[in-house]
Amino acid sequence: MVGIIRTGAYFPRRRLDRALIGKAWGTRVPPGTRTVAGLDEDALTMATDAVLACLGEGDPGRYDALYFASTSSPYGEKQVASVIATAVDLPREVAVADLGGSVRAGLGALRAALDGVRAGSHRAALVVAADVRRVEPESELEPLLGDGALAVAVGQDDVVAELVTTASVSEEFTYVFRTDEQRYLQVSEPRFGATYGYARDMGDAIALALRRAELPPARVAKLALAAPDARTAADAARRAGCEPGQLETSLGSEVGVLGTAEPLALLARSLETATPGDFLLAGAYGEGADVLVFRATERLPAARPRPLAERLARGLPVPSYERFLRAHAVLPGESIGEPVTSMIEWKELKQNVRLYGSRCESCGLVQYPQARVCLGCRSRDRMADHKLGKRGSIFTFTIDNLAPVPEHPLPMAVVDLEGGGRLYLQVTDAADGEVKVGTPVELTFRRLHEAGGNRYYFWKARPLEAR
Amino acid sequence: MKDRVAVIGIGCTKFGDRFERSYEELICDAAFEAYADAGIDPSEIEAAYLGTYLPGPGGGKAAVSLADALRLYDRPITRVENYCATGTDAFRNGCLAIASGTYDIVLVLGAEKLKDRGGRGIPRLGHPLLARGNTAPGLFALAANRYIHTFGLRRETLAKVAVKNHRNGARNPKAHLRMEVTEEQVLKAPIIAWPFGLFDCCPTTDGAAAAIICRADLAKRFKKAPVLVKGAGLAVTSGRPYFDPTFDYLGFRSTQAAAEQAYAMAGIAASDIDFAEVHDCFTWTEISNIEDLGFCRKGEGGKLEEEGQTALDGPRPINPSGGLKSFGHPIGASGVRMITECVTQLRGEAGERQVKDPELGLAHNVGGPGAVSCVVVLGQG
Repeated sequence: MVGIIRTGAYFPRRRLDRALIGKAWGTRVPPGTRTVAGLDEDALTMATDAVLACLGEGDPGRYDALYFASTSSPYGEKQVASVIATAVDLPREVAVADLGGSVRAGLGALRAALDGVRAGSHRAALVVAADVRRVEPESELEPLLGDGALAVAVGQDDVVAELVTTASVSEEFTYVFRTDEQRYLQVSEPRFGATYGYARDMGDAIALALRRAELPPARVAKLALAAPDARTAADAARRAGCEPGQLETSLGSEVGVLGTAEPLALLARSLETATPGDFLLAGAYGEGADVLVFRATERLPAARPRPLAERLARGLPVPSYERFLRAHAVLPGESIGEPVTSMIEWKELKQNVRLYGSRCESCGLVQYPQARVCLGCRSRDRMADHKLGKRGSIFTFTIDNLAPVPEHPLPMAVVDLEGGGRLYLQVTDAADGEVKVGTPVELTFRRLHEAGGNRYYFWKARPLEAR
Repeated sequence: MKDRVAVIGIGCTKFGDRFERSYEELICDAAFEAYADAGIDPSEIEAAYLGTYLPGPGGGKAAVSLADALRLYDRPITRVENYCATGTDAFRNGCLAIASGTYDIVLVLGAEKLKDRGGRGIPRLGHPLLARGNTAPGLFALAANRYIHTFGLRRETLAKVAVKNHRNGARNPKAHLRMEVTEEQVLKAPIIAWPFGLFDCCPTTDGAAAAIICRADLAKRFKKAPVLVKGAGLAVTSGRPYFDPTFDYLGFRSTQAAAEQAYAMAGIAASDIDFAEVHDCFTWTEISNIEDLGFCRKGEGGKLEEEGQTALDGPRPINPSGGLKSFGHPIGASGVRMITECVTQLRGEAGERQVKDPELGLAHNVGGPGAVSCVVVLGQG
């Protein structure tokens, strides 16, 4: 049986009240909030967070492939999936691919991974989709989009939703695009595109999938359709003979439309309530449409994903529209730092990205950075690599207004990790008063600074979500 | 080394934003003032030690900066760099050179030109990823906050340190910030790195200071009454204290160890020290330092400050010069500047800020934070 094993979601803690956008431009905006990636976040960091959430306490060594999908990757050329695979400590012997092009890439990556498992190319694979899509200030899209990431683990064992069939249609259509020279998303003829692009292609792909699965439309428990809006999703459902009531509720009012992660997020939400035997259908659009049909297994009730609502609790308001513009790099923020040479990066990769310290085999002390002579007992070369835990508590801290970072204040903390070791880290996504001695924190892989035309990533601490 | 080395001449520039003076010119000012103070000709200098922490566009990378500034060629000169303990460590090295019997007269000079570096003179160093976001106030604040968490120190007590040191510095013509401040001003100043506000922090400063030392048995030949080096200690601990899971963050072991060495060499106890110039880069640091130096028990430094025991007219004045807080902190110069203050006080030449009849004075630097400490004890000849 080939299918979904687990899912993991990541949403930025920051929420922008859409009313602030309306107030800035004097326009009417839908009610609710949208998620906003912080200055230290991008598709790479959010994807890493989602994969870590998906892995949980599980062994990353189980996976031999990682697919990364995004239309807003921080790199035009660089294998971002390899960066994510390293940060989550997957083995070096892992197949990777970056997919993009349209928001269809998220579901496309899931299909490719499932096909890889079916074909015997992968034992088990991780799929992660993430986007921070930039739209023009004052455009209609500005309040509607959201930032976030969704990871899905697939394989042959421990499957909670079995892949039943897939269907695709693909044909040139001009609707949503961004040329290689454009910074912001373009939408051509929204109403026409929604009807003759989205609804037509999606409806046909759903109908084709249902035929292949020999499934009457009424048998579908949930349609997890990534759609520009609810009305268009309903149009597509009807075209395939389904009812709008079968559509999974979107995250639009709190999160916004996610991009590549959208169909995976809706599918994850469907898994929260599905019962064994339920048919779940996921769809995504982009000059055509992909549809994947799953059937919930007997294993699902005992292995449900963490509800997305839990991941969305504890939001932090973005205080102003201007802060949102800076977070999305529309307004510049200056970060001073020096490039990390590729030689240093290579030498320290295990320590800095995989986050290994040393554990002294003589006295047991876990220490970071990696060292040859023990800090505790002075033994030489008795060190074993020690993978540091990603949770801990603040031993001491400061709230700094002087550090060369684009936004102040910058909380810094000395963190004692569960399982040993102590780190000194920037603290991110903290509310006022959260950074103090004893605060439980977890580690998150973030963009630290830019220098010499490149971007540099490292771990930060953030207040631990209530579990 | 006890009583084998004497300080016979001192010099110190006005500390401050010295945009009109180059690094080499500052060296020149401090050195020639020291030559005049000792009444010697530059040609009598046999060896020299230059303390500079951060080489800048104006020099400081190697000993040649001192040689060129003073045209002091064809003799041994060594540049010393040891974080904020650079100045006192340069002095300690000069003393060792005399005590070894190799040289009779040595120049020790600390110089730093922070302001010409741009960026308000704030040094930025370290690994490009690990510990990024650290600043000097932020690093010391980590210790201060743990200390506050443990001992319940109040920001009002920290403010008292700033008020006292500004009061002393206002009486010192060479100090960088020559104004008194009130406790309210200190408490209401913008926060730099919690719990430190602007007035809890020393400024970034340009300046140079010099000391001429010689064999104690030759000291009587020179102009001024000699001051003797009683003891010196230097201790280095981890430069990455924030990664050390065994570190309690309540004080600095390097200061404790360096003081133990210096006291043992001098054959004295901490209680014998009459006044001290300690490294008050931040207000909390002074409180922790006086504990680490053994003037009181750990956790009681704040009480000493509140009771006025560290004031100019208290039983053991701390930072009669105004300290780094008011006098300023040109990093490599600070330690040597502290030596010049100790000598001035021991000679009884400190004027308005004169400590009453001192016999033993102490100079202390700590950098890193806590990674490197140097302690020097000076006494009447």
